[in-house]
Amino acid sequence: MKKVKNYNWALVLPIYAFTILFVLIPLIYIVVLSLLRKDILWGVTNEFTLQNYRKMFDPVYLRTFADSLGLAFGTTVITVLMGYPFGYFMAKLAPKRRAFVMLLVVVPFWTNALVRIYGWMIILRAKGVLNHLLMSLGLIDTPLKILYTYGAVLLGMVYSLLPFMILPVYTSVEKMDWSLVEAARDLGANAAQAFLTVTLKLTLPGVLSGFVLVFVPSIGLFFISDLLGGGKIMLVGNLIKNQLMQARDWPFGAALSVVMMIMTFAIIFLYRKLTHSSDLEEFF
Amino acid sequence: MKKILSLVLAAATCAGLLAGCGSGGGSESSAPQSSAAPASEASSEAGGTESGGELNIFTWDGYFPQDVLDGYTEQFGVKINMSNFESNEEMLTKLEAANAGDYDVIVASDYIIDIMRRKGGLLKELDKEKIPNFKNIDPNFQSQFYDPENLYTVPYGPGTPLIVYDPSLVNVDIKGYNDLWNPELKDSVVIMDDARNVIGITLKTMGKSFNETDPAVLDEAKAKLMELKPNIRTLAMNNLQDVILSGEASVGYMFTAQVVMALQANPELKVVYPEEGMGFGIDNLIVPLNAPHEDNAFSFINYILEPEVGAKVSSQIMYLCPNKESAPYLPEEYKNNAALYIPSDVLGNTEFIQDVGEATELYDKIWTEFKQQ
Repeated sequence: MKKVKNYNWALVLPIYAFTILFVLIPLIYIVVLSLLRKDILWGVTNEFTLQNYRKMFDPVYLRTFADSLGLAFGTTVITVLMGYPFGYFMAKLAPKRRAFVMLLVVVPFWTNALVRIYGWMIILRAKGVLNHLLMSLGLIDTPLKILYTYGAVLLGMVYSLLPFMILPVYTSVEKMDWSLVEAARDLGANAAQAFLTVTLKLTLPGVLSGFVLVFVPSIGLFFISDLLGGGKIMLVGNLIKNQLMQARDWPFGAALSVVMMIMTFAIIFLYRKLTHSSDLEEFF
Repeated sequence: MKKILSLVLAAATCAGLLAGCGSGGGSESSAPQSSAAPASEASSEAGGTESGGELNIFTWDGYFPQDVLDGYTEQFGVKINMSNFESNEEMLTKLEAANAGDYDVIVASDYIIDIMRRKGGLLKELDKEKIPNFKNIDPNFQSQFYDPENLYTVPYGPGTPLIVYDPSLVNVDIKGYNDLWNPELKDSVVIMDDARNVIGITLKTMGKSFNETDPAVLDEAKAKLMELKPNIRTLAMNNLQDVILSGEASVGYMFTAQVVMALQANPELKVVYPEEGMGFGIDNLIVPLNAPHEDNAFSFINYILEPEVGAKVSSQIMYLCPNKESAPYLPEEYKNNAALYIPSDVLGNTEFIQDVGEATELYDKIWTEFKQQ
């Protein structure tokens, strides 16, 4: 058998170089940093310690994880409830309309996320658009305090992440084999039964992709809670930022980052176990 | 094995995305005047060249009025390269990476200069022969903890955080920090999102120092701070004046420039010099040890200390004026501004926020708990 010389490695090389340089090395740097002791004056000492990880078990810091996960979970549940019907009906539209709706979902992404959140602040504030509208309609007589509440934070999170749920659901509904639903109906299932037993199961991978794509970023997004929540919630992201900007405790910040990465890793691992797929293919 | 590797990389990529969202958004939000990375590259390139017609300034964005910079270039034929940072911490990290070189003049805050001085090998002693205008500096702003003998620093932007409120919405006669705890101010106070400042004013209400390190006292302060939470409408670092001006909150504790902007937009607002004693901060001009264009750095500092230039700077960047010869050149509007022209007897009763060493951790924990309530 004649062996063909394989030059594939040359094509893959740039990707490996990129990954090693910009993913692997920084990752190792963070892990090493998380094991060092903080220098009281500035920076770190050369002494190794597990103190930074131990410190996380303090109830005060544990609670930031609980709060972050709680907010991420709430965000994800709402995006599923809103994104699933949206993606489902979008996939059933005529192709021309579908393209138009798709455009509406994607267009906001052309604007910087921070700018859009500032837009929400203008809408929600006491003398803002929403309160003016409600008051001129006679529904309320004094402005509602909406900005700087937990509800405003949830609104901002859902608003920012909803497309990441809509798109995978849309993809999975769109490529679904509808003859299976017809078969179910022929065999006597009513519309609800057919949906629950066939459609939902077949589109579940899309929902799970959406779950990962929404849940993972929402653990880390903290500027939304800072701006719309008035900085009154302490999330892990805030805590990491404070370690770098205020407390000057880089090793603790690094340790928190490592734990966050492990959480992300666990979620993706779980996703793979549940769906037996190797990546978020429903999305792509 | 391959599977595990791909999983690790997938996780890492997601984490990267997440970090990207978080830190990108965060840093932008912490400084709306975020700016020019290319500029910093330009300057580090220029850093290597022989001392000649250039000057590399490292500062927060918008901290030097353009006409002042242009005036210097015109007069001395020196090309100015600006690089910006968003925090003192970022500045020091970059300066260390550049081995205390690359930059010629840096603006930095009091506490970080203290750290730099204690670390050693970062600051260049100012050659006062080359800065004859050094004598123009108001001694009120000199000989501070970070530079007791005035070897390294020239005060540039001194400021005092102040209380400002809208008397049409507030029925309390606010005299000091303690009034912020008044139950009548429920849900109507905006305050800076900064552990040291907010825990600091709590300590002040108890007659303690901004720089308290005793865990027992800090514990007491924590209990008192928690009682402030119901009054807090929002915590923020930027544009606090907008929160007052938009009617979202009626009382604020904020930095000088923000108080000034609030007053300019609404002259009816009242400014309070807190009776418990004010906080104080000074941003200074410094020259790093290995500055590539040292002589230009000194000539630039001397230029900034010209009485007329000093007046231009202070009235435009909206900080207190550290140049005692500038008074005749300051506009009336500036002199009438309560946040900028503070009576000197009030200014005597101020305290710097300094590094508290080990206690930093306690402050961080109290702050975390405060936000969770």
